[in-house]
Amino acid sequence: MDTPPLDLLPGTLDLLVLRTLVPGPLHGWGIGQRIEQVSGVFRVKIGSLYPALQRLEQAGLITASWQASENNRRARYYKLTRRGQARLEREQDDWQRAAAGIARVLETR
Amino acid sequence: MATWRGLSGWWRQRTAFDEAREELRFHVEMLVEEKRRAGVPEAEARREARLELGEVEPCAEQLADGRPGATLEAIRRDARMALRRLRHAPAFSLAVIALVALGVGASTAMFTLVDQVLLRPLPFPAPERLVRLFETSPGRGVAQTGVARGNLATWRAQARSFEQLALGYATGRTIAGGGSEAEVLLTGQVSCDFFPLLGVAVRHGRTFDAEECRRATYSSAAAPTGADPVIVLGHGLWQRRFGGDPGVVGRTVSLERRTFRVIGVLAAPLDLPEPGVEAFLPWELEGAMPHDQRYTVALGRLRAGVTPEASKSELAAIAADLARQRPQTNAGWSVDVAPLQPHATAAARPALLALLAGSVLLLAIACGNAALLFLARASARGPEAALRLALGASRVRVLREGLLETLIPCAAGGLAGLLLAAALLAIVPQAWPDLPRAVALQLDTRAAAFALAATLGSALVAGLWPAWRATRQDPRRALDTAQRVVGGRERGVRGGLVVAEVALTVALLTGAGLLLRSVRSLESTSPGFQAEGVLVAPVFLDSQEYATGERSRQYYAQLLERLRALPGVLAAGAATRLPASPVGPDFARPVWPAGEAGTTAPKTEAWVRMLTPGYLETLQVPVVAGRAFDATDTPDSRPVVAVNQSLARRLWPAGDAVGRTLVVDYSTAGTYSYEVVGVYADVRFRGPRSEPLDELFLPHAQRSYLIMNVTLRTAAGAPPMAEAVRQVFRAVDAQQPPQAMHRLEDLLGATFVRERRAMQLAVGFGVAASTLCALGLYGLLAYGVDGRRRELAVRAALGAGRARLMRLVAGEATTLVALGLALGALATAATAPALASLLHGVGPADPVTAAGVLAALALVALAASAVPAWRAASLDPARELRRD
Repeated sequence: MDTPPLDLLPGTLDLLVLRTLVPGPLHGWGIGQRIEQVSGVFRVKIGSLYPALQRLEQAGLITASWQASENNRRARYYKLTRRGQARLEREQDDWQRAAAGIARVLETR
Repeated sequence: MATWRGLSGWWRQRTAFDEAREELRFHVEMLVEEKRRAGVPEAEARREARLELGEVEPCAEQLADGRPGATLEAIRRDARMALRRLRHAPAFSLAVIALVALGVGASTAMFTLVDQVLLRPLPFPAPERLVRLFETSPGRGVAQTGVARGNLATWRAQARSFEQLALGYATGRTIAGGGSEAEVLLTGQVSCDFFPLLGVAVRHGRTFDAEECRRATYSSAAAPTGADPVIVLGHGLWQRRFGGDPGVVGRTVSLERRTFRVIGVLAAPLDLPEPGVEAFLPWELEGAMPHDQRYTVALGRLRAGVTPEASKSELAAIAADLARQRPQTNAGWSVDVAPLQPHATAAARPALLALLAGSVLLLAIACGNAALLFLARASARGPEAALRLALGASRVRVLREGLLETLIPCAAGGLAGLLLAAALLAIVPQAWPDLPRAVALQLDTRAAAFALAATLGSALVAGLWPAWRATRQDPRRALDTAQRVVGGRERGVRGGLVVAEVALTVALLTGAGLLLRSVRSLESTSPGFQAEGVLVAPVFLDSQEYATGERSRQYYAQLLERLRALPGVLAAGAATRLPASPVGPDFARPVWPAGEAGTTAPKTEAWVRMLTPGYLETLQVPVVAGRAFDATDTPDSRPVVAVNQSLARRLWPAGDAVGRTLVVDYSTAGTYSYEVVGVYADVRFRGPRSEPLDELFLPHAQRSYLIMNVTLRTAAGAPPMAEAVRQVFRAVDAQQPPQAMHRLEDLLGATFVRERRAMQLAVGFGVAASTLCALGLYGLLAYGVDGRRRELAVRAALGAGRARLMRLVAGEATTLVALGLALGALATAATAPALASLLHGVGPADPVTAAGVLAALALVALAASAVPAWRAASLDPARELRRD
């Protein structure tokens, strides 16, 4: 029996997108799929994903270019920039410390 | 070209919206493909994908709006959308463009005319200080006449109001040589400070210096007699006769068979001292200067801060002194001072302003029609805007699209209007030759600004309101078809528009009708002579060659004799000045009947004309009493005169003028007595608008004159004679061509050409307005019938006959037109008196015009309601009632 997918926690989408782009450039659909598959619990809506991509692009953390996709369609591929890389490392760090903190609070009896 | 490419590149460039949409579509396609691979059929896969992802467009819009330059881009996107829609409704778009073009074109052309003819200052430095001076004699009924040189010299010596006072006088002179045929030019003799006073610029050389003015002297016949004479060429003559040669200064030209040295060329055309002058000679204000030959054009430049009124009272005081010192010449004479600018254009002002008002009315009517079109389109598209709003489109966007759909055709119309205005202005100089400053008319930034304002105004009236309203609709109500059929308030607005159009049309038609009646009245007013078939050739005899009266007499006698011998010529004669003609000496002298001893005879001023035998016959002016001049009047015979009926009545009310003795005062030349041998019928000398003058006629044989208007009457159906006449002139003296050749009919028509042109334009405006009005009313009625199909069908089903249904529609038309008529009649009653100064023989409240307007509007109502009424009557009730 499937558990219903969760909506993303606020503020986490940008981080997940940046992380998803570490292995290499990817289009919007691919990013969404990867997050859903890897997390196994989150559902990514286009109404959040694409504005997030636009936001990251405008902040200079990722760049976008039109390329041919695996099935030979025109798709917009996003690529992590150096600044994006740096931001990811910092936020990943922050997130893990925060998550550890939350976990400790939740685990106290 | 580069700009255009840039513009079209900007236009075609993929928008952020397009990109976002494509990116999102890719996303959708991937989802669809995944589902298909999982075995879901394509159609079902698409449906599911849509359900999962929602609509792509709003999201793409949101993305696009988040990008820099989004607003500009959105406008571009909406403009493209609006253009596409307009392309799909070509009849609507073209109609709006045509309406705006008509309104903007007509009003911009009229605005440019008014602006450049009336409002633009004269092209001189400090033009507001330039005035023209006149002598006046209210007691003699002389409003504004020329200034006597003696009087101007006195004013110049005594008046403190002026920096400078100058004078000029224009007359025809023969120019010859330079490889071109001899021709007669209008030349201006101007005093030394004439050019400096105006501040006229020269293109080459210079204007006259003091020494040249002192040296220039003239004989009593105005022949230049000074040593080493010099001339300044007008701009037009320099272009025409000298091919714009920059080396013309220092060359010589032959004028009046004397050699003149060219010292300068003016930089621009100059219409002073009289319109049409082409060359200038120096003149002095010295020597014996009469105080009673009031023929010169006097100009003044006021000192800074002095008003024309102040200068007028100062001059009036000086004139009063002069009248005391020289009662013989100056009693009863005073001075008038008028700003140069309004004087130059005063005659054209009422017609131009009336036409500007007319063109603005036409613009308003065209706007009204465009508004009706936009309203009809809005309701034809009905709930579209409401639907889009209900589905989540932003109000800004819907409104913006509506605005663009209005602005784009209006802007196109405005541009077309500018072209139309340019075309109209291009024909003004030919169509309206006596309009001052018409030659230089052209569209400029002010005209463009006016056109822009008129265009935006039309867009505002025509389309913005419907566009705004469309976004305010309540979607539920808008989508309810039953509610949509007849929107009561909207019908009211349309009805109001049509009523306003009818009212404006009434005002326009009334104006046009009054002008039409006035011109008809001018045409049918008998001028007192027969202009038809008369050719006129003004002759300015060379004052050197024809220095003696004997030579002049011989010339004219020989010329007339040869002209009479031409086949097809019925009569020929000459006079110093012709009725309705602008050329030739035109002056008045004091006259009185030689009284019995001891009685003081009443003096009056009479206009003096010299006539040759044959003149009365040519113009067919009847001899009322006595005889016409004939071969028995010679230099040695007893001096005789004739008078016209007006003068005869004034001097001898008993009606026994023939045989009496008349005294004419020639001022410095003394007084002379003549026997009255004839009384001739009155003519309207200044054209059909004018009243007859008191006129005095002298036989040319006894008082010869160099300047004569030669006239000849040709037989009905005679071939064109101009060339034959020119040959006769060449045969008599090849160096003495006529100054021009006119048909007297044309000259007579020219005395009211202004009224005629104004009438033709106004009638054009009126016809256009009536047509627009009929179209507007038709649209409204047709739309009404369409909207009321159900109601009409019910009525038909309940037994209303065809006639009754037709009356229903016609009744609506009648109500609207009647309301408009009432409003228009009120507006016209208030405004028509402003036309009074343009009218002749017809009052502003003319019943014939009113009846004509009424008939025209009845026709408009009939034309507009015929088709809708017929359609209403031929509805098939059964089919209509089954429709919903």
